[in-house]
Amino acid sequence: MALLQIAEPGQSPVPHQVKRAVGIDLGTTNSLVATVRGGRTDVVADQHGQTMLPSVVNYSSADGALVGVAAQALSSEHPADTLVSVKRFMGRGRADTQQDAERSHYQLADNDEGMVSFVTSQGTVSPVQASAEILRVLENRARQFLGGEIEGAVITVPAYFDDAQRQATKDAATLAGLPVMRLLNEPTAAAVAYGLDSREEGVIAVYDLGGGTFDISILRLHRGVFEVLATGGDTALGGDDLDAAIVAWAMEQLSSPELEGGQYRTLHAMARQAKEALSAVDSVELPIAEVIEGAGSLTLCRTDFEALIQPLVKRTLRSCRRCLRDAQVDAIDNVVMVGGSTRVPLVRAAVADFFQRQPLTDIDPDRVVAMGAAIQADILVGNRPEGDLLLLDVIPLSLGLETMGGLVEKIVPRNTTIPVTRAQEFTTFKDGQTALAVHIVQGERELVADSRSLARFELRGIPPMVAGAARIMVTFQVDADGLLNVSAREESTGLESSVTVKPSFGLSDEQITTMLQASFSHAAQDKSARQLAEQRLDAQQLLEGLEAALAADGSELLSQPECEALHGLMKELQEQVAGENIDAMRKLTEQLGRASEAFAARRMDKSIKQALSGVSLDALDQEVSE
Amino acid sequence: MSSPDFTQSYFQLFNLPVQFAVDVAALGERYRQLQRELHPDRFASAADHEQRIAVQYSAFANEAYAALRAPLPRALYLLKLLGMSQEDVSRQKIDGGFLIEQMELREKLESMHDLVDPDTVLDHLVEEISGDIKMHQAEFENAYNQQDLPAAASACVKMQFLEKLMQEAEQIESDLMDN
Repeated sequence: MALLQIAEPGQSPVPHQVKRAVGIDLGTTNSLVATVRGGRTDVVADQHGQTMLPSVVNYSSADGALVGVAAQALSSEHPADTLVSVKRFMGRGRADTQQDAERSHYQLADNDEGMVSFVTSQGTVSPVQASAEILRVLENRARQFLGGEIEGAVITVPAYFDDAQRQATKDAATLAGLPVMRLLNEPTAAAVAYGLDSREEGVIAVYDLGGGTFDISILRLHRGVFEVLATGGDTALGGDDLDAAIVAWAMEQLSSPELEGGQYRTLHAMARQAKEALSAVDSVELPIAEVIEGAGSLTLCRTDFEALIQPLVKRTLRSCRRCLRDAQVDAIDNVVMVGGSTRVPLVRAAVADFFQRQPLTDIDPDRVVAMGAAIQADILVGNRPEGDLLLLDVIPLSLGLETMGGLVEKIVPRNTTIPVTRAQEFTTFKDGQTALAVHIVQGERELVADSRSLARFELRGIPPMVAGAARIMVTFQVDADGLLNVSAREESTGLESSVTVKPSFGLSDEQITTMLQASFSHAAQDKSARQLAEQRLDAQQLLEGLEAALAADGSELLSQPECEALHGLMKELQEQVAGENIDAMRKLTEQLGRASEAFAARRMDKSIKQALSGVSLDALDQEVSE
Repeated sequence: MSSPDFTQSYFQLFNLPVQFAVDVAALGERYRQLQRELHPDRFASAADHEQRIAVQYSAFANEAYAALRAPLPRALYLLKLLGMSQEDVSRQKIDGGFLIEQMELREKLESMHDLVDPDTVLDHLVEEISGDIKMHQAEFENAYNQQDLPAAASACVKMQFLEKLMQEAEQIESDLMDN
């Protein structure tokens, strides 16, 4: 339901137009884009018929970045210039990623603060920039397939991504110029892909072993509403680690020779092929001579492979157990498998055994996430009849603040349904204290030292008072993307000083602007034309919506002066829309938007009453007594 | 920015009578009905200010649902409506007998790792704790209905103790399963 766009039954304010919407699975190993067309959801292929885009970006040439298969081909030759699995580095600081970087033979730039970046022969590149390159390729592919600009995109993230990792993903989309409507959790996307087809009701477990991350989610599907009950996982465990286990085994068999970066990459690729082959055959040969001249082949049988990966599979089941406990459900009706590594027979058997259910694998586990995202994008962009499907997702990791003694005070516990707003009151602990340091952390541990530090800020200008007299309200707001905003306010004096926080590992708004300007500089004119068109569209949307809303509820919910004030502003904006002054149009649109907020809120209250009016109190009393 | 009016109680929001007994299935049904109308996804292509309002409403409905769904937060919320803050509740005096029982339960829980057959013992313990929780829920409901706030608050504190103990028991259970 779009609140301000209600038309009379049977009459649509504008002719129904299908908008171009896509779902993007920005994966550790491969990325895909999918869309819904003519009621069918499918992944979009490139001109060679390839649907999976290897998430590999090469920065060897001054002519620009190469993405996908072409980049992959340069991986052994230019390991430091060829970024694979950048998703593992998104929103991460140096300390968290040293091991991963060494394993992949990257050179990290010399900054100890903020997000890591890689040194390539074309300069330093952040994981956000590399991800934006991947997104651009997918956007182009979809634009060609759909025959026009993408109007809305849903990008998936591992459910277990923390705030910094989510923010980094959103920044990458901004950098690529993609209109992101929502970040969607990967397991939830997979459940949508399955759920819509079968219209099943019940409890679903989604086991998602991606390239670099493991997620488990438990959802309840209830007449078109997907309620995520709990989610869990491990952002540092994935299919890559199964490959790495094979590599480690091979190195041991070869008595640990010194390998160059390129050799290591080749060996890793060989290990992946071996893993994939072992899903179908009982043993494979690794032609080591391709890596080390003169070396003999190694044979890996399935039993040995299973012994190698057993500890990793066990780790995933531990997460499943905790998640089941968090979800507080007795039984699972269906288990959905996501991610290429769930093709490994041992993984399937272990999951089937754990949940006592044969897992569903009807939809290609590599495509299911992108397909679910495409369905959600189709809904959000407005292509589907209202009430089709609603997702209620949760926050994966607890959010809290540092308190005295380096302890964490949890404000929003994990598995709280989003969006959520929680406030907590703090006070000063010294006489005359005029500032309060706020340190926001995420994680389940009790000590700040063991948690992920998201952001720090200071609330200054608190009037001097005796210790304990100030009342500082810290408010956490998590939106439907799972992104956090924190603000602080001193209440006893009425002094307001709120701060919005960007995660420590994220990019600042200026950094994004600089990057955006760099990528747009060649097309400055296009940019301003595009801005004008977008601004005009915004203004028109607001005007049309408001017009319809006023016609429906204006006389009932607004006083005469209120109504006149709105009409006055609308008339002014209508005049501006005809002109070309972007700034004036933006200001007036914002002004009208603010002016109509109270009206929108009253309409929301009305629709709440209507939503519940079908159920009478008597019926409820009966239900309670039953 | 004008803020929506969130002064109504959670019970009012879901059109439910203000009482401890709540039909959780009916509550869930109403909650989902509300989110179908309010969730920001329903306003994904609407103007920014509408999206902001939707986020606030949706967050309010989520808070309300979380507060009423489970017995302990519901009990605390009922007390809050009567002017008792969480701090007031925690200051409530608890009788010595309950505390001794708690200590005994905790000792049993801590010695669990040394037992030959911890699973059966743990099952019994979990059963005992959840029985106790139910008992104090009934105690709360009685006290609340008679407007005996101190007694209701003390039942709440006991429920808090026991829920914490239950969490620890579950943690030990999963540790045992992993080893």
